Amino acid sequence: MRASAVELRNLTKTFGELVAVDDVNAVAVPGQVTALLGPNGAGKTTTLRMLLGLVAPTSGTATFDGQRYDELVDPVRRVGALLEASGCHPGRTALAHLRILATAARLPRRAPEQVLEEAELEGDARRRVGDYSLGMRQRLGLAAAMLGDPSVVILDEPTNGLDPPGVRWLRGYVRRLADEGRTVLLSSHVLSEVELTADHVLVLSRGRLVRSARLDELRAEAGNCSRARTPEPERLGAVLDAAGHAYRRTEGELVVDAAPERVGELAAAHGIVLHALAGSGGLERAFFRIIGQSDAAAQPAEVRP
Amino acid sequence: MRPLVHAEMLKLRTTRSTGWLLLATLATEALMVAFSIPKRGAQEVMVPLDDPGLMAATIGTGLLISQVLVTVFGVMAFTQEYRYGTITSTYLIEPRRPRILLAKLVAATLVSAVVVVATLVLVVPSSIILITSRDGDVTLGVQFWQVMGVGFVVLAASAAIGVALGAVVRHQIAAVVGVLVWMTAVEHVVIPALPALGRWMPGGATLSVLQQSTSNGLDGDLLPPAGGGLVLLAYAAMAITLALVVTPKRDVV
Repeated sequence: MRASAVELRNLTKTFGELVAVDDVNAVAVPGQVTALLGPNGAGKTTTLRMLLGLVAPTSGTATFDGQRYDELVDPVRRVGALLEASGCHPGRTALAHLRILATAARLPRRAPEQVLEEAELEGDARRRVGDYSLGMRQRLGLAAAMLGDPSVVILDEPTNGLDPPGVRWLRGYVRRLADEGRTVLLSSHVLSEVELTADHVLVLSRGRLVRSARLDELRAEAGNCSRARTPEPERLGAVLDAAGHAYRRTEGELVVDAAPERVGELAAAHGIVLHALAGSGGLERAFFRIIGQSDAAAQPAEVRP
Repeated sequence: MRPLVHAEMLKLRTTRSTGWLLLATLATEALMVAFSIPKRGAQEVMVPLDDPGLMAATIGTGLLISQVLVTVFGVMAFTQEYRYGTITSTYLIEPRRPRILLAKLVAATLVSAVVVVATLVLVVPSSIILITSRDGDVTLGVQFWQVMGVGFVVLAASAAIGVALGAVVRHQIAAVVGVLVWMTAVEHVVIPALPALGRWMPGGATLSVLQQSTSNGLDGDLLPPAGGGLVLLAYAAMAITLALVVTPKRDVV
């Protein structure tokens, strides 16, 4: 398989006052999983949509071996994409949905059945998509992306809606795609996912590419970091502030830039109940630090949507 | 282009709303036939039972009802895709967006022809049976054949206008409700009240090209049939041009 490299050059998109993507330069190469990492609103989806010709860049280019998406001959056979908002008519069956795509793209008649099998949906092929769970829809989206057996695969938040076994399955699937020599570019705000699948990480924050590094580089730079779950996040936050440890609140958790031993001691000293406390991988910390630095740097010129 | 058109036809065939809307339209037309063929000697009707123009008037009314359907089908070609997010995969398969617009226009035209045939298959025999059972004369004159032939053009133009409108408006509910209100309320009020304006509206143009002025009590108020046809085609051309200009520039987010 000869896969194309994806190249973003000075890619910029503004929506009115808001700079959604700001002068991004990056490359994703064949045989690797490249992860576009960043919090919500960092510009990941807009970047991928510009790459796929759905959103017009304000300036700069996004290309596959030098060709824009709309210049590709038979794009579905070169590039497969799963996008967040790419939907299905709920009244259609999965098979009908894929047949429509295969018909329009002049793909072999058997292609829909094949990709449904790979996505482990063959048993539900004739059910209406409206009856699918979120996870099944995500698998169907993935099946649709693979319909033309593309050498470049672009996945926007592919783990959305998947249950833990689904996430594990996806991880193996994505890894295999890269091992087959395909170029895989995926976006995520879930660090733990990227940590286990990506070779290369592009960190986006407020539309800017703030870091491009191999995953092992980032891991080496990072030390310990922990995740704490508490019914009193405000109090724990105040204690961490006082002790000078940076932290970030996610859904129901605090991600702290300190070893779990330290967080546990602080919580105990102040009588704060912890429901869970665990050491967390290095990437979380590195990511957190990168985002934090770029946020601090961006403060004066901050533009809010 | 053929695969794209084929895919568009598949999209219509694989959603239930297509069939239901067609059925509802044909049911409305059956009612229309039942109520619009007058009884023998009935007073105060636009077209009496023995009028040679009765068949032409009846299929004309049937086609006017079907015109609403094909326009809505046309509108849904794009708005449905925006509503369910399938527009993304459609543009991923064919990023040259004017080709998608063209495929949808061709598909909508083909569908409009199917709808015209379905309308005629329902309306013509049922009208003939009803007129005969009331001892009326069934006249299939020049006007009848003209209305029938022109019906294909009128509905194709309406479907195309629908497709182009949907491409521009994108919001399904706004577009469908807007079209329905326009076609079934606004024009119905404006055309008889202000014929000088109404005759230039798509609905006024349709009435003239389908030769429905008498049956709608608008004798002398409308453009000549050929003029109406040109006005309708001009609307279609303008709508398609607007869609061609707007569609490629828009971001699909």
